[in-house]
Parts: sequence; C-alpha cells; structure tokens
Amino acid sequence: MIDLQEMILEKDRLIPLLRKLKKESRLIAPVTNKHGDTLLSEINNIDRDTIDLDRQPQNSLKSFFLPQQEILAHYSVDTTGYNFTAPEAAKETIYFGVRSCDLTALLYMDLIFSKPAKDASYYDRRNRSVIITLGCNDPFANCFCEATNSGPYLDYGYDLQFIDLGSSYYVAAGRRKGADLLNKWDYFFRTVEEEDQKIRYQLFLEARGRFNRNIQVSHACHKLQEEEVAETIWEKLAGRCYDCGGCAYVCPTCTCFSVDDMAIDDSHGTRIRSWDACTSSGFTRMAGNHNPTDRTRHALKQRFLHKLKYDYQKHGKASCTGCGRCVDICFGGVDITTFIEMFTRDAS
Amino acid sequence: MNTNFIPATAVIREIIRENDTISTFRLELINKRVPFSFRSGQFCMLSVPHCGEAAISISSAPNALPLFDLSIRNAGELTNAMHQMKAGEQVGIRGPFGTPFPMADFANSDMLFVAGGIGLAPLKSVIDHCLFQSGLEADAVANITLLYGSRSPSEVAFTTAISSWKEQGIDCRLTVDAGDDSWHANVGLVTELLQKELITKNTKSLICGPPVMIRFVIARLTEMGCASHDIFTTLERHMKCGMGTCGHCHLDGKLVCVDGPVFSLEQLQTMDVMELGT
Repeated sequence: MIDLQEMILEKDRLIPLLRKLKKESRLIAPVTNKHGDTLLSEINNIDRDTIDLDRQPQNSLKSFFLPQQEILAHYSVDTTGYNFTAPEAAKETIYFGVRSCDLTALLYMDLIFSKPAKDASYYDRRNRSVIITLGCNDPFANCFCEATNSGPYLDYGYDLQFIDLGSSYYVAAGRRKGADLLNKWDYFFRTVEEEDQKIRYQLFLEARGRFNRNIQVSHACHKLQEEEVAETIWEKLAGRCYDCGGCAYVCPTCTCFSVDDMAIDDSHGTRIRSWDACTSSGFTRMAGNHNPTDRTRHALKQRFLHKLKYDYQKHGKASCTGCGRCVDICFGGVDITTFIEMFTRDAS
Repeated sequence: MNTNFIPATAVIREIIRENDTISTFRLELINKRVPFSFRSGQFCMLSVPHCGEAAISISSAPNALPLFDLSIRNAGELTNAMHQMKAGEQVGIRGPFGTPFPMADFANSDMLFVAGGIGLAPLKSVIDHCLFQSGLEADAVANITLLYGSRSPSEVAFTTAISSWKEQGIDCRLTVDAGDDSWHANVGLVTELLQKELITKNTKSLICGPPVMIRFVIARLTEMGCASHDIFTTLERHMKCGMGTCGHCHLDGKLVCVDGPVFSLEQLQTMDVMELGT
C-alpha cells in the first residue's frame, strides 16, 4: 500500500537535497554542457554542473534504459565449447527533472519489455531507478502532451513529481520509493498549505492554456480504426523521408532494436543490442535481398500506424507522448504531427 | 542478468546434405536449463559463432527429440558460416518461438502440402508428425499429398525424406521449372499440379515457399473452393529477438514471431500482406 504524500520544498533547499541523493546513488538530471545544449546526463559535481530546469532536455530517458548500444552477453568459442555469460548489473540511479512526456514513455517501455518475459537488462535498470519528474508550467514550442494525455502534469507513474510554484516546489509521492525518499529526508520539506494547493491548481490551468499546437491525436486514433489512410498520403510522406532515422532515435517510445554479434578476436566476442528504426530501408530486408516492405511508398507507414493505430488497439492509448522532438529533428518536415494533420483533414 | 538473449548450447550430431545449397543440421542441446520441446511450425533463433543469430524453422517432428533438425539454405553470411561447420561443433539455440500449426484440427483431414524449395522445411515437420500420429486412431489424418516444386532437378531437396514418405504411402508429386534428360517427373510450376481431384471437402492445405508461389497457390486453392480457414501458410521475415520486442517482423499490427509465423488465410485476409499481393 503506497502512502501518498505531498510536501513543499523551498527552492534554496533543492541543491542540498540533491547533494544528499547523489551520495547514495548515481544522479541524472538535465545539465547544460559546454556547447550550451541541455541533456539529461550524469551529475559529476553538483556545485559545478549547471542543472537546467527551464529548457526541454534534447534527449529523453530512453537511452538510460535502452542504451543506443549495450552488451547483452559476452561469448567465447574455444576448446570448452561455445559459451555465453551475462553482462554486469546496473547501478542504482535517481533521475531528477524528468518531463511528464518522458516518464509516460518509460511506462510504455515497461509494457513493451515485459512481454512475453521481462527483458533482463531493461528491468535490471528499471528496478534500480527512482524517477523524479518536473511538471511543465510552460510547454515548449512543439509540445502537444495534452493531446496525448501525458502532461503537462501527471496523475501517476512517478516516484516523485515536482511542480514549480515560483519560490518553492510542490512535491508529490506517487510510488513507494518516492514516499520513502520524502520520509527519509523529511527535514528538507515543510507541509503543504491551502495556498500552495491553490497556486498549483492555478498554474496547472495556465499551463494547459499555453500550448502552441493543437494536434488532433485522439481524432486520428479513432479515424484510423475506421478507415484506411489514402495511398497518396503515404507516398507524399515517403517522398520527403530521407532515411536518417532521426525521428526514431529522438523518440522516447521508439524501442525497435537490432542484435548483432561482434568478434573481439578469434575466440571472444560480444552480443550487442543497438537502436534500429522501422523507417530504415534495411529494417525488414532478409538474406538474398528479399524485402516484404516497399520503402518507396511506405517508408513511414509502420512508424505512424504502430504509434497511432496498433498501440491504440492493443493498449487503448497512442504511444506518442507529444514531446515534439521529432518535429524539431525532421528536416523533411514529415514528423507525426504532419501525418496527423494530413490524415485528419483528408475527407476521403 | 540478461538471460533473454543467451542461447542454450547445441552440438551438431549429423549433417545431411539435401542439395548444393541446402543442408539439414541434426542438433542436440547439451546445457538446456529446462526441458526442450516444440510443436511443428515453430522456429528457433540459431547462433553461429561471430555471426549473430537467424530465425530458422525446425524441420523435424517433436517425436525425434532430443534430436531436432534445422534445414538451412546457404543464402547469407550466417548461413554460409553454418555450412562450413562440421559434426561435433557447437551452435547456440534460443526458442522455440512462434505459433505452431493447429495439429489437433487436422485429425481425419485430407492433408495437402504445397512447397517450393527450402519451403518444405517447416512442412516436413508437420508431415513427419502426421506419420508419427498415423497409428493413433483419434488424432490421425486421413490422407497426405505433397506437391513439391524446385527450380531444376539438381535443386530438388529432401530426397531422402521424400523417398521414405513415398514408401509410407504418401502421394508425393514433384515438379521442376526446367527439366533435363535425367528428369522424368513433371515440368512446370507447382500450381499446375493443383488439380481438382486433389481437393475434397475435408482438405486442409499447408503452403510454404517463395512469396509469389504462396500467392498463386492460395489463389488457385480458393478458386477450387477451399475455405480460407482450411488454408495455412508460414511466413518468413527478418527477426532479431523472436519474442515480440525488436519490431523487425512487423506485419500490419501483428508480429510474425509471436502472432505467426503460421497464419490461416482467414487471418491474413484481414491484413496488408505482401505474400497476398495486397
């Protein structure tokens, strides 16, 4: 039974709290690097690293749970035979400043990597993680998480959720590990006053009114259950897809991967898992160059239907979390919002 | 830790050369964690040292366990490395994966197998299983007919199995696209062997071969009145995990590795499937 708790953390106590947390485990937060880019990355020095809670991290949580490349096993081939051994265990890690969309994506990944059996590497990392989210008071330019039901604030799924009230954070525990942290470090916090709740609610309403984009995600999901997408739409989109895979790599819910063995020497090697993208021309190609999908017409079909049609059928929810990263990265201009707008406007 | 991608070790007990490019590797697991069993139509992920993994159908019947066969055509890097291996050497096996053929529904049916080239491999498992069950009154099928197409006489594979099947009373009809002086059986496409007298109300058809063959055989069977729930095929796709996570074998909202590879035509008709030309 999770004992739900809500507390207030004054802003000047944030760094002291994070310092305590970092002593106990690895700490990941949005950090501005020397190039001026904000990325979720490991905090090495809490006093020198610049934690940036104002901008959207360019990366999502994905790479921390499904790394771009990871070792699934080591193998050896020698006189004793062909043997495999498991990789090292993950480290306890606290993630701070995670946006609502990115935690929603992680909850989706929990589902994907639990069937038919739990993926050992993924769940090793997941079980050793604590996720502290930050609700968005001011959605970013391409965000549409309200349309995907994954923000700007969350109702569940987080260990702790921080909401910026101006001079303090409204902190809510959603899971056992979050509640444990609040109890353990209770002297950093004060109790919630009625005024704090009023401000929080007011900020929530304002945040919902600040979205620049109105993307008809649920209308698209419903329409996809009823009718086929016109071939001309697929062809237009495919014609502007340059097979760079950028959308799949920045997407927090694109989890397709490849597995390859890499020889280290004649008798040793590693089994590597790496990100893959269904938009890539080699994704479905078999030995002998036979390919069951026609990329010239359908480069993006699987990507969009998977997120908006098939996942909606299977899980009752689209697997786009409205983070807007693919909008930023696609230089062909054929991101998921383009598709949704073309399809929902199409009167066929 | 990550046990999902760690295979069990198998020893190659015997290699049966089926033709110039296809060999059957008879394997036995030596460090399995749990008893290994499978059903006809399922596949394994085969690991070959330094080459990674490939999805390969099991071509023997479950009753031959602890030995089981993988029939492999030399078509790429991994399969070529496999063809260089010798009896006694080790490979890795994960699985079995996928949905099998619905064998229980085949009792008392007239079984019609239509295969092209290496496509006979997964059907061979079913045929051997039907023969194994032939002594079991309730589970036995009524008749077995095999139509098998190859490109040329030298490419006809599984000849040892076919001779044995003929001896056991199976009606085996072979054809090649282009014959030569040594060839005395049919010449032409396998669809030309699909004659009306082969079809009864009780016929269950199982098809495996190149996509274009699957498409034309299905069309012909449908034309001859076979119902879509009595026609089955098994699809080949690029796969990396076998367990429904990697995404490579996507098929219009389904994944061939878990929802297939065996599908009835009734299932396929609701999907956008390259083999049906849709």
